[in-house]
Amino acid sequence: MKRHRAIRLIMILTVLFVQITFLTMIVKEKYETDGFAAIVLILFITLTMFLGYRYLDLHHEVYAYEKIAVAIWVPIGAVICHLLNVYGGLGSVLSAGTTGTLASFLPTINKQSVYLKNLPAAIYCGAFVGMSSAEITPSVGFVIAAGVLSGVFFMLSKNLFLGIGGKLGTIAFGGVAIVSLIYWLLK
Amino acid sequence: MNSLIIMATGILGATLTYFVNEKLKQGAVRASALLSFIIGLFFYFYPEILNAYLTKNIQIVFIGASFIGMVSATAIRSYSLLALAGSLFAIIYINKSHFFDGYGGALGTLALITLLTTMGFYVVLSRNTKIRYGILVFRKKILRHKK
Repeated sequence: MKRHRAIRLIMILTVLFVQITFLTMIVKEKYETDGFAAIVLILFITLTMFLGYRYLDLHHEVYAYEKIAVAIWVPIGAVICHLLNVYGGLGSVLSAGTTGTLASFLPTINKQSVYLKNLPAAIYCGAFVGMSSAEITPSVGFVIAAGVLSGVFFMLSKNLFLGIGGKLGTIAFGGVAIVSLIYWLLK
Repeated sequence: MNSLIIMATGILGATLTYFVNEKLKQGAVRASALLSFIIGLFFYFYPEILNAYLTKNIQIVFIGASFIGMVSATAIRSYSLLALAGSLFAIIYINKSHFFDGYGGALGTLALITLLTTMGFYVVLSRNTKIRYGILVFRKKILRHKK
């Protein structure tokens, strides 16, 4: 039980860290260009976001993890979207839209299958990884690594941020940002 | 003018996706992906129809705001709250840092931030009786003034 609680805490703190970093970078850039109103707005948003964390019922009480057989589709979705985006020249939005739309029809192959019902979310999460530009993702290997890490986050966050939009994107962002950091450190 | 169009796109992205997701029962992934696919396809074939700034950013803001519309009906039921979240998304997007440009998932992160902010704001407002009373008094005063 303690291990499950620790994993949950780590995941929530990771999301919070990602969000704070994201907002901090905006404040930093606006501070340099003297955007006072923007800074006040961002600080207000940060405060209200904490109230959201405090008062909203965001997570399911039961500890549960997504199956590896489902999470494996995250890097697959990432590679498909990356190929359409970078090599196909469709652009990030059309590539993610195409990948997600095709994935959303997978459950119609067999409407009784619970496994197929879980795939669209995993593939669409991967598509967000594949939306990264060629400057950020220099190779397919990088996309696979970011996709696998996002897949791990996807697995661990099954009962967190239930029904909240943006969860899949945040998972993908976490994967891309961490792999970028490792890549930068190793370079 | 560009900023107003971007804000309208944010509102449309969030509310339309929610409509397709919850009212047309197409599911969150298909609602977001299909609408983004249509918008992306339109600008792929007609890249010159609007100026370069809008052609680039309308698609991005639409798909980003569509992540807000992926929210389930148990978390948000009101279109006005979604519109508020969509416009907030657009405002932050316009002022966003360029540090994370090109990072996949950045739009989803922004969507989660704006959705949590909007929901948090709403919960605090609805829980605080003093604020609720203040809003009621304010509404009554405005209505009386209009009469």
